[in-house]
Amino acid sequence: MNIPVDARSIGKIENADGLLARNSRLMPGDPIRVRVQRYDAGETGARYFEDFVVPYDTAMRVLDALNYIAENFATDLAYRWLCGTKMCGTCAVRMNGREVLACWEAVEPDMTIEPLRNLPVVRDLVVDRRPYEERVVSFEPWLERPSAYPGFPEPLSHRDIKDASKALDCISCMSCFSACPVIGLGNLTDFAGPAPLVQLAQTALDPRNNPAKVARALEHAGIFNCLSCYKCEEVCPAKIPIVTRVIEPLKAKTAELVPHAARHSLAFRAIVAARGRIDPSELVLRVQGPKVLLQVRRALRLLLRGKINPIRTIFRKRTAAAKAAARLLEKMRPAS
Amino acid sequence: MRILTTDVVVVGGGAAGCYAALELAKKNIDVTIVCKGLVGKSGASLFAGNLVLGGGLLGNTPEQARNTAEFLIKYHNQYLIDQNWAKRCGQWIESVYYPELEEAGLYFRRDNDGNVVTSPGKIRSVAANVQGNSGVPFMDLRRKQVIKAGIHRLEETIVTSLLRRDDGSVCGVFTVNCLTGEYAVVLARVVVLATGYSDRLHKRSTGTREMSGDGLAMAWRVGANLVNLEMQWWHTNDVAHPPTWQRMQIYPNPVLGSEHSARMVNSAGEEFFNQQIDDPLAFGPYTVQLKRLVEQVHAGKARYDGGYFAGFDHVEPREVDTYTTYGKPFYQLGLSPRQGPIETAVTAHYRQGGILVDTSNMRSSVPGLYVAGGVGGHSNGLIALVTFDGKCVADGIAMEIGALQPGELADDQVERERRRIESLLTADGDGPAPVQVKEKIRRVMWDKVGVEKNHIDLNSALEDLDRIRTSMLPNMRVKNCTRIANYEWVDAIDVCNMIDVAELIVHSSIERRESRGPFMRTDFPETDNENWLAANIMIKTDNGFRFERAPYDLPFFQPDFTRRNNMTVPW
Repeated sequence: MNIPVDARSIGKIENADGLLARNSRLMPGDPIRVRVQRYDAGETGARYFEDFVVPYDTAMRVLDALNYIAENFATDLAYRWLCGTKMCGTCAVRMNGREVLACWEAVEPDMTIEPLRNLPVVRDLVVDRRPYEERVVSFEPWLERPSAYPGFPEPLSHRDIKDASKALDCISCMSCFSACPVIGLGNLTDFAGPAPLVQLAQTALDPRNNPAKVARALEHAGIFNCLSCYKCEEVCPAKIPIVTRVIEPLKAKTAELVPHAARHSLAFRAIVAARGRIDPSELVLRVQGPKVLLQVRRALRLLLRGKINPIRTIFRKRTAAAKAAARLLEKMRPAS
Repeated sequence: MRILTTDVVVVGGGAAGCYAALELAKKNIDVTIVCKGLVGKSGASLFAGNLVLGGGLLGNTPEQARNTAEFLIKYHNQYLIDQNWAKRCGQWIESVYYPELEEAGLYFRRDNDGNVVTSPGKIRSVAANVQGNSGVPFMDLRRKQVIKAGIHRLEETIVTSLLRRDDGSVCGVFTVNCLTGEYAVVLARVVVLATGYSDRLHKRSTGTREMSGDGLAMAWRVGANLVNLEMQWWHTNDVAHPPTWQRMQIYPNPVLGSEHSARMVNSAGEEFFNQQIDDPLAFGPYTVQLKRLVEQVHAGKARYDGGYFAGFDHVEPREVDTYTTYGKPFYQLGLSPRQGPIETAVTAHYRQGGILVDTSNMRSSVPGLYVAGGVGGHSNGLIALVTFDGKCVADGIAMEIGALQPGELADDQVERERRRIESLLTADGDGPAPVQVKEKIRRVMWDKVGVEKNHIDLNSALEDLDRIRTSMLPNMRVKNCTRIANYEWVDAIDVCNMIDVAELIVHSSIERRESRGPFMRTDFPETDNENWLAANIMIKTDNGFRFERAPYDLPFFQPDFTRRNNMTVPW
């Protein structure tokens, strides 16, 4: 596929890729080879794969294949689902290495089905939702009105709530939580993860919410640990533009409401505005402050490798690029 | 085994159960929700497509307000409803329900100018965020309200039986956790059943996976009276393929912010139903659609399991996509709604009937057993109506809480139930797996207790169900005895409820000797308001059951005929 893809459209293009083809290249009766990961925490504790062949049926979904297996071959297969129509968000699994909603994704002729990552497996494809739920609850994701509710219908425009509205499409399937490489690092960062942040955005980006409450939640969201890799958007079955409409607006909110949690980002921005480019030594100085003195060896290493250049930092020249950068950044500053 | 104590156990985590729990907690009554799935994610409430406007809400005219009430009573319940209850409910929806939801944060969809987007017409509706998906943010909000209120939840936990005091009153529940296999008893002053409308008893059924008629089965076992079980409601245009999408509806009601609604087309390509054109008063036109489909089936131009189509090829895709999710099955198949309708089929939806309740306090006929929402037999489904039940049951319990005794541990009942559930886990017969028995029951219900019923088929269904009960159930085989996330075990528990409820429904269907709305008897094709504008009450007796008939009061709306062929009745 040689379509030029910019980062923001990766998920969209892959999701739209050949849906019709994916839905029509198989004929009823064609064999679907399914490898399912089995795991029983209670017994041997070993993970293994079991192979099945399922006959294709019109418009078959991954969940149809699992149901067929559970009815005909492995009646003890454990997998979770409730609604079958992309509303409950409980049936997400990994199919051939990518997160999909079992009820929503078309089958492929050869499928390996595994449980979601980054969550403990209970049995077979059933994961423990608690680590995700606990993060969501820690945000206290409900409205706290700074003033009395004025009565139905209250003044509110879609324009004011459009990002929160996107986040409200979330069905908490945790696909993005499984796909996120930063969550995959475990406890190395305090990043809450895409799914909990989408849940947070539902109320944090709601203009009716108390900013002080939003600030409390953002304080421990670890949002600047997001790599903007767009993996979350790529797998989101609800097609929420998670990076652009959730993470980025939440970062802006953090910079506005909890500036000390956005020190690195604000310094980066200020430097680019002043110099038209990033200056690593100034960035280190601004973010680390006097602590930098404790890291002389590291500074020397950076100097030797040409990563920092104190001379240039001190004797900076005002360039046209700096002016342009300042103008652009000013234009992008969210109206607040 | 854990023994928990609380004031009230609410069984079910849908709109009714959550609201009941929230209202009880507000009154400082200790409450525990036991939910077979996940609170806010399982049960029929999740599927709410839009929220109907009643009364004078958002500029409803008196005529639109009256239309909404008329729609509810005629099209939605075929007059089998307490009209005074409906009136109280309507007033509450207008004055409490909408403001409560919005104050808590529910986003009623606005346009960029700040107007709440409505569907125009004789009856109007709004959406929570997006039409077709309203139940998702609605129930997510309820889930979070429940968490915020600190209400104790036992999720992915099955209530397998109601426990009783010596005097027969209900005082707790026996539960199994689906993920850990652990048993627990929850003792309470009273129990609220809020297990929902759907039972998933037919081959094609709406509702969520875990539903299996548990509420009806358990209520019947403790002797509660049931009512109008035969009044099965159907979705007429749910997506035919794949089976997983059997509850994916090509919504027939008006598209939000548009004058259009879906159209239905038979196998010959002829349009046979379009709500906005054919019956603007039938806002949720399920019964009207069904009748038109029956004509197509009789003409050989459709089948109940497919061979006809529904879609939006007459509407600009932008009109469908601006405020609704109605295009989602099309897009996921790689199609545009413009390209044509997709194949649809009939699906067993809600049951209008259920447990008989006193609508003034939501008590069943068994002391200590209260009911809220769809499992009750007093109205057909709308998310606002079941929420009102949550309020009523909380009020009803609060009124009596002072006189209600704490739950008592009935050791012998608990031990008996533990042994019964344990024996299902270790079932090592040489027969089918529980899931196969489930499918067998659903097949019998679909083939013989489907859209068009008659005495011969219904009796044949009873024979089939009896065969399943006597020859298949005792020989079920559970392959894996693990207690961890053992859905086979869950299926085995479900089957025992499903077989009981299926039989009760068939008996009730035999008893109602008329046709009324979605209840169609080919051997009694007339709607008979003289004899059957009445509750069909099923009462447990020492040697089985008997039926009683109780006519409904008709204070506000009355049918304008005594007897008429059901197919010619507009509702």
